[in-house]
Amino acid sequence: MSGSVILETKGLTKAFGGLVALDKVDLSIETGKITAVIGPNGAGKTTLFNLIAGVYPVSGGEIYFQGALLNKVSPPKRASLGIVRTFQHVYLFGNMTVLENVMSGRHPRSSYGFLEAALRLPKARREEEAISLDAIKYLNMVGLGTHAEHDALSLPLGQQKLLAIARAMATEPRLILLDEPGAGLNTLEKRQLSDLIRNVREIGISVILVEHDMPLVMGLAEWVIVLDSGQKIAEGTAAQVQKDPKVIAAYLGEEVE
Amino acid sequence: MLARLKSSWSYLAIAALFVALILAPFHWFLGQYTTLMIFIGIYTIVTVGLCLLMGYTGQVSLGQAAFFGMGAYISAILSKTYGVNPWLAMLIAAIMTGAFAYIIGYPIFRLKGNYLAMATLGLGLIMWILFVQLRQFTGGPDGMSDIPYLSIGGFVFNSSFRRYFLVWAFCLAVLIISQNIIRSRTGRALRAIHSSEAAAESVGINVDQFKVKILVLSAVYASLAGSLLVYHMTIVNPQIFDFMASVKLVVMAVIGGLASVWGAIFGAGATRILSDEVLLRFGDWDVVVYGLILVLVMIFMPEGLFVKLKEVFQRLRLRYRQRGIER
Repeated sequence: MSGSVILETKGLTKAFGGLVALDKVDLSIETGKITAVIGPNGAGKTTLFNLIAGVYPVSGGEIYFQGALLNKVSPPKRASLGIVRTFQHVYLFGNMTVLENVMSGRHPRSSYGFLEAALRLPKARREEEAISLDAIKYLNMVGLGTHAEHDALSLPLGQQKLLAIARAMATEPRLILLDEPGAGLNTLEKRQLSDLIRNVREIGISVILVEHDMPLVMGLAEWVIVLDSGQKIAEGTAAQVQKDPKVIAAYLGEEVE
Repeated sequence: MLARLKSSWSYLAIAALFVALILAPFHWFLGQYTTLMIFIGIYTIVTVGLCLLMGYTGQVSLGQAAFFGMGAYISAILSKTYGVNPWLAMLIAAIMTGAFAYIIGYPIFRLKGNYLAMATLGLGLIMWILFVQLRQFTGGPDGMSDIPYLSIGGFVFNSSFRRYFLVWAFCLAVLIISQNIIRSRTGRALRAIHSSEAAAESVGINVDQFKVKILVLSAVYASLAGSLLVYHMTIVNPQIFDFMASVKLVVMAVIGGLASVWGAIFGAGATRILSDEVLLRFGDWDVVVYGLILVLVMIFMPEGLFVKLKEVFQRLRLRYRQRGIER
């Protein structure tokens, strides 16, 4: 049973002062599936991501990753455990090339340190070679292999978002969190993105995405969780959720008799 | 092709630099400037540390003279007052300064941006006050004199000619080590932190730890430079490490181009030549000149004077080559 659940939250709560952004949310995310978290603005989607990524501490409740309690684990440690995220505002490393961005993603899967780097010891050279070969592999996976030497920020937004996913994939995650990957993309770019996300799932990596673009969500997600005002109001397949009166009410407002 | 051409040119530039550095102290070349060149070497070592800290990692230090002074005073006190071997004193100074940077690192990096700048400024001031006030150890405002020279066996570094090679051997080692670090996993982590701390953490980079490590490295560099300084001058006093010293160090790093290790030689060189040969005539007005340089460079060439000059040089060469092809 625990084999099929990659991430679980119990009574997860986050309050910013008096504002309760997430209120006793119980989630159970299945391994190897694409799960979407949707909801109107201010529903608590990004807060949920930030709690899973460890950006700020929880106010109450627990988060379990592969059965182990995650609450006290630092964000960089979470990356080496296999949780990685992308950002709504992309946050590429603007002072690096495309390839170096992906090489940075190999950080938790390599180990040579200051001293080995300073003296260029054999271990450093060996690992560095492996890092760049692996990075090229991940770059090709998102179709940016020919742009390796370009400055990261010289790419158009659509490719920047693919690069951010390549950087995240380079950490060899078990679970990838995508924060509005479709925002700002045109139709063609969205199709490329959908294909990429399906590929990621095919490799066996669990995906959670927050997204406003409903057609994109409905086309991709195998399970949809709906948040509103910090609470989970519905979950199910895309078709089930779309018919749920509570979901319709949350998006369109209550019907007036 | 272009990239290979570019790198072969920079190898040539570095080779030319090596030859010039080896020949410089001979009297028929630049011998009259040996002392100036020694100071440039010493200040380059400190500047490289600042480049790593500010240019690559994006963490401001307005108190780097604190570490510089610690290296100088610990070496001076141990070797003069307690008769410790100068090499050992230098090593102990580096370890103590590094340990000090490590201890203050975690609390100080809870601050960011302007607040970090203020905290490091305060650190520099506090350390300067200690140098002045701890009279029984440091000799107070007058400082100390008759500090022994470094020596290897019977070979004493008692002439500028000899010390020149010693200082530049250290300087080049520091430059090469720093260059290696930048081109490594660690270097990428530092640049990632500069660009976005949130994204750096998301790919497993321990931001606080790397900031502290690079602070420690820059402090050790500054300490080594401070030790070399006292074993060159055989005197030490607090004025060398006052607030203006920290500001000058920042000017050196900025002129050299914050994100270029070799630019540090250029930054330290330009600033030392300016202060030793030109600004003496300005008296106290030199502060205004430094401020002006800092402001102008940050506005018109934030990537640094050195990087800018390199760009201009490359553009000229490209134009020259294109003209050759057209013919």
